[in-house]
Amino acid sequence: MTAILGSIAVVVAFVSAAALAVRGFIAMRNGAIDVGSALKWPVYGVVGGALAAMSILEIAILRDDFSIEYIANNSATTTPTIFKVATGWAALEGSIVLWGLVLAIFVYTVHRQVSRAEGSDQLGAGALAVLGVITFFFFGLMLPGMSFWIFGVSNPFRVCVELATVGCFEASNLPWVESVTAFEGRGPNPLLQNHILMAVHPPMLYFGYVGMSVPYAFAMSALMLGMSGTAWLQRTRAWTLIAWGFLTLGIVLGGWWSYEVLGWGGYWAWDPVENASFLPWLIATAFLHSAVVQQRRGMLQAWNYVLVISTFALTILGTFLTRSGVIVSVHSFTQSPIGPALLWFLMAVLVVSFVLFATKIHLVASSPRLDSLVSREGVFLLNNLLLTVFAIVVLVGTLYPMFLEAFGGSEVGVGRPFFDRMAIPLSFALLLATGIGPVTPYRSAKGSVIWERVRTPARIALAAAALAVVLSYRNTYLLLGILTATFLMLVILRNLYYAARKTADQRKIAVPAAALHVMRSDTGYWGGQISHFGVALLALGMALSSNLAVEAEITLTPGDTDTVAGYDITYLNQFSRQEPHRFVTGAAIEVSRDGRVVSRQEPRLNDYSTSTQTVATPAVYESVRGDLYLSLRSINSQAVVLGVWWFPFIWLVWVGGLLAGLAVLWSRLVRKPARDKVPVPRAVGDER
Amino acid sequence: MNVRARQIIGWVVTAALAGIVVVGMIMGDTRPEDRVASIGAAIKCPVCQGEAIVDSPSETAVAMLEILEEKVAAGETDQQIYTYFRGRFGDGIILDPPFEPQTLLLWLLPLAAVAGGIWMILSRRRRPDLVSGEAA
Repeated sequence: MTAILGSIAVVVAFVSAAALAVRGFIAMRNGAIDVGSALKWPVYGVVGGALAAMSILEIAILRDDFSIEYIANNSATTTPTIFKVATGWAALEGSIVLWGLVLAIFVYTVHRQVSRAEGSDQLGAGALAVLGVITFFFFGLMLPGMSFWIFGVSNPFRVCVELATVGCFEASNLPWVESVTAFEGRGPNPLLQNHILMAVHPPMLYFGYVGMSVPYAFAMSALMLGMSGTAWLQRTRAWTLIAWGFLTLGIVLGGWWSYEVLGWGGYWAWDPVENASFLPWLIATAFLHSAVVQQRRGMLQAWNYVLVISTFALTILGTFLTRSGVIVSVHSFTQSPIGPALLWFLMAVLVVSFVLFATKIHLVASSPRLDSLVSREGVFLLNNLLLTVFAIVVLVGTLYPMFLEAFGGSEVGVGRPFFDRMAIPLSFALLLATGIGPVTPYRSAKGSVIWERVRTPARIALAAAALAVVLSYRNTYLLLGILTATFLMLVILRNLYYAARKTADQRKIAVPAAALHVMRSDTGYWGGQISHFGVALLALGMALSSNLAVEAEITLTPGDTDTVAGYDITYLNQFSRQEPHRFVTGAAIEVSRDGRVVSRQEPRLNDYSTSTQTVATPAVYESVRGDLYLSLRSINSQAVVLGVWWFPFIWLVWVGGLLAGLAVLWSRLVRKPARDKVPVPRAVGDER
Repeated sequence: MNVRARQIIGWVVTAALAGIVVVGMIMGDTRPEDRVASIGAAIKCPVCQGEAIVDSPSETAVAMLEILEEKVAAGETDQQIYTYFRGRFGDGIILDPPFEPQTLLLWLLPLAAVAGGIWMILSRRRRPDLVSGEAA
């Protein structure tokens, strides 16, 4: 029953997506059609089908319906409810269902915007048509009853026809065949049922990833229509900003999850899955900035198309990398048919997009030249250069070992040493440019004007770094981190203070109220500045926590105490308990400082009934000064071996990262103050 | 004159602060170099997806890290340690790619991107003679 209902939902969404594409293209060509009502039913079909597919899968998981292969192999009766819900997207087929649902939500939102437009919104119709094609592909992957080319290679509702000892051994694509039901399922991957963030991080990331389809659709539509001007760009940038906010939050929450769960004390390892999420982020960030140059100065029109197309292509590449098994080995990716299907789609996207780009770009792009390199445009170009080079480094480093292996070369590993060597200098350069850019005037700027605006922040930042030297912290990366991050924060605050003081004088109000008024009067600019401030906090947190970290491995018998980074760590006793889905062994640890007990912690080892792998859960004592991170290495009746880390001010990384992403809300939600006669000065950098 | 004096003091203070920071960087870190961490970040965990042994909690990675700690304690050089792990797990185990014909593109592509980007930006600049030409 589940299989049949689920299959119907998938087919409804699939057919509706085809209809959306066809009718969308017709509406784009014919300016006389009312787009909103012409595309209403296909849109409802896509949304209804996608919602139904996800709901049916979730309900079946919650009801432990092990006649479905996906559920028998990825859930278990003992799985806690919250992780049952997360199982809906934690494995391959479910993740494609979530992809389809998020895509449908974006289709619905774009359609609402298009319906409200006055007259015939041909640009919106074309965008909906392109979204229809993308939706067609993703629901094609989920189709029942077949498995060839791209169709039906990731069917979430396959019915189990032969049982394994636990879970399902063989399944059928035909929803109506007689199914067998496993007594118990295999349960989710132990690592994925350990922390609540696992239920939040993937959907965030998907809203970011899938959201990049919308700007791509608008860009394609504008190219097909040969539409010049900035109308497409304004709409595209607004959609990119929303997707970018989700993507930022998704990446930060992913790092946080990794830190809280994996037990190695870090949050970013430059592994291919992380890189896959970071690549579209870098290029989308470049676009958010270069789009401003086009809006303000009419430059970079062709370049902006390249960025939007690349962002979308990188999301598909990322999905291919994470979902095809190509990371484990180039030669394993054909084992799952979704790999070739995604690769095929990626190639089609690249070929179609760049052929369209090459044939139409003369219609839409003109290229006014740069007046001077020393100008806001110049810094924006520098920003784009740095971000693009950054992306190329990450892309080449991620793909190079795979290419070598695929073409029979020797094995080469590319990891943290390579990425750090490239990324750290690029990041410092980006931070400096982020500080200087927003206070640099457009067209042509005088060095003395810029210096006047950054002089005080530069001096205070230098003083902060000099103080660190005097206190005998002399690590180069630490000093550069303190220097660039405090500089960036102070430039933003100075900028706000001067604008606020001017407004306070004109309107006879207090400076704090004036600051709020200034920030509300240009939400786009100040949303960006809040985001920059978040990036600075994140950079400062990274510099402090990684360069001042203390690491130790200690062995304790019950009652013993050892000291790490000024904290006395006492091993009280061993404990163990049986939970429904796992057996937990842990150490009760008392943390004290200056003779005063500050915390009780319980680092644990978990053995899941459904897996042979033992999974450690670290315990983290968090304080304003930093985190004491305890990871259980081994435990027996005599002694416990603990990995202990001290990470000063690591909370700045999470707070800064979340602030950078949430800043989008300021741009999108905060309303401008009511107009009145006194003009509000724009941000200092804005006047010409 | 007063303004000028303040400017000069400002510059002197700025230069002095910058001097302290630069000297601090040149003097280098006061903390002893953590060789296990730096070498361990360059050795891949063979059972993980592209993670180094210092970044993975898996049993294999922990066991390899213990071997690494012993070798560092025994005073082996970086090169000796890399050679040992290469011999046991293959060339792909080292995450710090060497500069050799096979990896030429890995190092050159980012450089080419920098060069190409700078060339594109410079070629978009308004040429000085054109500026005066338009102004006339």
